[in-house]
Amino acid sequence: MSARIATWWTILRICLEERLVYRGDFALGTLMRFLPIVTQIFLWYAIFEARGSSALAGYSYEEFVAYYLLTMVSRAFSSMPGLASGITRQIRDGEIKKYLIQPVDMLGFLFLSRFAHKIAYYSVAIGPFALVFFLCRGYFHNLPAEAATHSPATAAAFAASLVMSFVLGFYLEASLGLIGFWWLEVSSLLFVYMLFNFFLSGHMFPLDMLPQPWRAIFDAIPLKYLAYYPAAVFLGKVKHADLAIDLCVQFAWVVFFIGLSRFMFQRGLKRYSGFGG
Amino acid sequence: MSIIELCGLSKSYRVYQKQEGLLASLRGLFRREYRDVHAVRGIDLRVEQGEFVAFLGPNGAGKTTTLKLLSGVISPSGGEARVMGHVPWKRENAYRRRFALVMGQKNQLWWDLPAQESFRLHQQIYRIAPEQFARTRDELTGMLGIGNLLRQPVRELSLGERMKMELTAALLHSPDVLFLDEPTIGLDVVAQHKIQQFLKYYQQHRQITILLTSHYMKDVAALCRRVVVIAKGRIEYNGSLNGIIDSFSGHKVVTLQFATDQSSAGLERFGQIVEDQPPRAKLRVERSALTRTLAAILAQYAVEDVVVEDPPLEEVIASLFTQVERDSGAEAQAASGTDSADASTAGVA
Amino acid sequence: MEGMQYLRVFLTFARNSLIRDMTFRANFILESIASLCWMLGNLGFYALIFTHTPYIGRDSGWGQYEFFVFLSTTMFVNSLVQTFFMANVDEFSELIRTGGLDFALLKPIDTQFVISLRKIDWSSLVNFFAGAGLLVISLHKLSVRPDNPLHVSPTMVALYFIYMLCGVAILYSLMIGLSATSIWLGRNQTLYDFWFYITNFSRYPMEIYSGTWGRPLRWVFTFAVPVLVVVNVPARILAQPLRPNSSLSFSLAAFAIVATVASLLGSRWIFNRALLSYRSASS
Repeated sequence: MSARIATWWTILRICLEERLVYRGDFALGTLMRFLPIVTQIFLWYAIFEARGSSALAGYSYEEFVAYYLLTMVSRAFSSMPGLASGITRQIRDGEIKKYLIQPVDMLGFLFLSRFAHKIAYYSVAIGPFALVFFLCRGYFHNLPAEAATHSPATAAAFAASLVMSFVLGFYLEASLGLIGFWWLEVSSLLFVYMLFNFFLSGHMFPLDMLPQPWRAIFDAIPLKYLAYYPAAVFLGKVKHADLAIDLCVQFAWVVFFIGLSRFMFQRGLKRYSGFGG
Repeated sequence: MSIIELCGLSKSYRVYQKQEGLLASLRGLFRREYRDVHAVRGIDLRVEQGEFVAFLGPNGAGKTTTLKLLSGVISPSGGEARVMGHVPWKRENAYRRRFALVMGQKNQLWWDLPAQESFRLHQQIYRIAPEQFARTRDELTGMLGIGNLLRQPVRELSLGERMKMELTAALLHSPDVLFLDEPTIGLDVVAQHKIQQFLKYYQQHRQITILLTSHYMKDVAALCRRVVVIAKGRIEYNGSLNGIIDSFSGHKVVTLQFATDQSSAGLERFGQIVEDQPPRAKLRVERSALTRTLAAILAQYAVEDVVVEDPPLEEVIASLFTQVERDSGAEAQAASGTDSADASTAGVA
Repeated sequence: MEGMQYLRVFLTFARNSLIRDMTFRANFILESIASLCWMLGNLGFYALIFTHTPYIGRDSGWGQYEFFVFLSTTMFVNSLVQTFFMANVDEFSELIRTGGLDFALLKPIDTQFVISLRKIDWSSLVNFFAGAGLLVISLHKLSVRPDNPLHVSPTMVALYFIYMLCGVAILYSLMIGLSATSIWLGRNQTLYDFWFYITNFSRYPMEIYSGTWGRPLRWVFTFAVPVLVVVNVPARILAQPLRPNSSLSFSLAAFAIVATVASLLGSRWIFNRALLSYRSASS
């Protein structure tokens, strides 16, 4: 156990150091991440202005802005840049062999290092995040009673859905990457996934805006937990009665993708060693 | 006037010194520590038209940097150079049309395309007339025996074939000066030999001037009459290949063939025994004491045959490198108190 | 003579890239489809927006089809930038890191030219045609609408294309300028993001940047980093959402030319400075 903590600590430290060596990149990168929100805020202001001031799909203008800021938080948890492509590259280059030889579990190791990466990222990014949320605190003033700012139960559900979105994001992308065992060129598939993720996770707009039957369809697939769902919970868009069930569904998805990736990994390795690498 | 003239050429650059540890990395965010690396420390050299000169030296000696300076890829921090009357780092098109640089460890051909497409691109870039282009290409690929590979994507070629293609690409515009940086690195013996032969023929035939760096003594011995030994950014030797032995090796190797198996006893009085396989023995003998020693041996032993040789070239050069390394190491240590010879904050000499 | 040489070299670049793309045909088709899907996703998003609002911005005149003209202009400019420059400029910092830049420096031809146009990504051109389709449909819708139908004159079309090319030039300059800085910053992974974020501001009509915070932003992205004129100027010429304000449009159009020249010169200067420091900082 202590050996594991030592490994974990080493990974964490290396991640942090890696980030700090390239100061130019680092400073720009953290700041720039908030720029797209600025254009979104202006876009929606212009739209609300043209509509008069009535709510759009149940969102006021303030809630829209708050929504975008909150999806930034959920994306900070759920996005896994380079994970799937990294796994396929390891499979293609034969680097995967070392997991056949060494007593290391690949998915566990990747999860751990991703976790460390995220911690390293948050520990630095919390500054800009706090600053932006402080500057934009006005948008969080008139939230309903069921929002996380008023209800501890909602706040707890928000936290739970965030943590699960990290795990879900990881195992979902890992499963995609493991397709590389069967299919050598996964990059186009990954692009399609990224496309879906971008438009359908709620990153671009609250899914409530969609007309039926699209709304029902996108509600049923797990992508919404990567961006839309935590933000909607925070804003009190999800009724308390539904919270428990929804979180259970999210948890079920998490379990499903953990199982799926484990299964794929076992089958893939078997197939791989069958070929003789 | 010499075709290549270097005068006090030097190059130093700064590298960011990454600190170990988290706190140090954090500090690096605000204040960085740099280290000056002196790659070339004042080189004077003249090369005449039609010469084939080899640069020898251990890794990091400054050979590649010198070639890059002469190609104008990088600018020097001091000194002057003229190649065919041009200052290389002004990068005039008139100059760039007249030389070529081939680097064994890098390739400039399009990886996914057949080599002939890259050649065509060179034709456009160097403005080679179509007939001349076709003639030169066929001549070069014919000599190198790669004419049938022109239509294959470069990624499907073997390392040796790729190097031959790189050479062809570099020579398409018939340069007057050619810089070769480790052209045979990583190649098998057959391919090495083939490229050596080609270079030898091409150079003699066209009378172009070639500067070559290589780790393979065979390349150098086969191709170059003149050798420049560079170590720690300075020229340590400049002359013929055999001259290295004369100036850096103070001994000869004497092979003795005795009449009987027992007679080699007591030989260590005359020099260091390199090999003792009765009835044969090899002995290192001080050059100055050679005749005296030989006479003494012949007087005291029953010798059937004597061969006197120079020590092997590789050995001499290897010991020369280590000697230079040790000397400059001690020098730098005395000067700055650190153990890294490269790291000194002093300005360039 | 000189110009002919550059043209020939460019055509050889284009030809070689096409040969390369054709050897990986499946990949080429997938990439085309992918970038098309990306645009369709965007189009869907804006179509969704217009089911909730008649205009973007009060009295701005950017209705659905005016905005779709704007959107197709964005597609034109982006696809041209991606086809000709994006992959090359993106590779620039990689060339610096691996020393591949050395070969470009050896060639008796302008280094910026070689660096900027070596590889042409033909698959990105698919969005150019998609944009053309969208433009034709939108212009048709605008010209047959009952009140105040739009008349498109040949002059408008000519001006549109000229300003579109100006937009491409501005984005190119910005991109090469940014990537040249990677020589000073060391590695530059976020360059791509940075470029994306900056051009993000060019993707909407400039009217949306209004109010206390919007005005300075509009000023900065018009005059300091002129990304706002990239799409806005050509799109306005064709869609003409703001007819009464033509004097403003005129001065903006004049400014766009100045901005184009200035950014090209500026990027050239930065590029040369970067090369100089590369050549004195590496071994």
